[in-house]
Amino acid sequence: MTNNKKLLCPDCGVEMNHHAMKIDYEAASDAPEAIDTDFGGVLEEAHTCPKCGQTQLRRSVDETDDKQTRAS
Amino acid sequence: MSATRPLFIPVILGTTRQGRASESVAKFVLAETAKREGVETELIDIRRIPLTTEDAGEAIKDSQFAATMARADALIIVTPEYNHGYPGMLKHVLDTNLKEYIHKAVGICGVSAGGFGGTRVIENMLPVMRELGLVTIFWDGNFSGAHKLFDANGQLLDEAYIKRTDKFLKELIWMAKTLRHGRENISLE
Repeated sequence: MTNNKKLLCPDCGVEMNHHAMKIDYEAASDAPEAIDTDFGGVLEEAHTCPKCGQTQLRRSVDETDDKQTRAS
Repeated sequence: MSATRPLFIPVILGTTRQGRASESVAKFVLAETAKREGVETELIDIRRIPLTTEDAGEAIKDSQFAATMARADALIIVTPEYNHGYPGMLKHVLDTNLKEYIHKAVGICGVSAGGFGGTRVIENMLPVMRELGLVTIFWDGNFSGAHKLFDANGQLLDEAYIKRTDKFLKELIWMAKTLRHGRENISLE
């Protein structure tokens, strides 16, 4: 599961590298709609800028997964 | 990997107690780290990080500490062993960040009054490091008999620690370089 849209560094404007995924269990209470039921929490992607080294997290969006189809 | 950016490897002094022997250890490790070409470092004394105990985690993030962690390529944590565990205040500080740590190297220096050099606190720290996204090296700093290791001026009395710390830093720097390259260039997908 990943968001295919590339993240740009807010400072450098260059394309960041997606190098890690993290399950955020605590975010689930704030955003129940974002819970990935396969993992039991909200999936987040870590992206790092190859120019300045800063890391950004963003919520992962599965652009290919059809939850309704899978649930049925 | 950017060849122009030096590695930044701060040293975290992980106790707030009065009379802490870990302070001399942290200053020694800081001085050894500062000798390395292409490495910048600084001492982070958790006593100086203004955190409330009314809450915990990212809700009480200190902006200066977070910025330092974001800039870091690796961390050196100097922690005493208190009742076989790590200081609660150290955990309180570390828990205030997450994204700042992901896929960064960490080396742990255990400090103890007894003869085991903080091995038990290091073992206790490992699962915490992993959950924070940090990557541990397999060389540790083990500082035994901490109150007898330095003179009144903070000068090291046992030179074996210089060689031991050299091995520790070599591995940490290798891991820091490797992980920086990975974070910036190697895609998960």
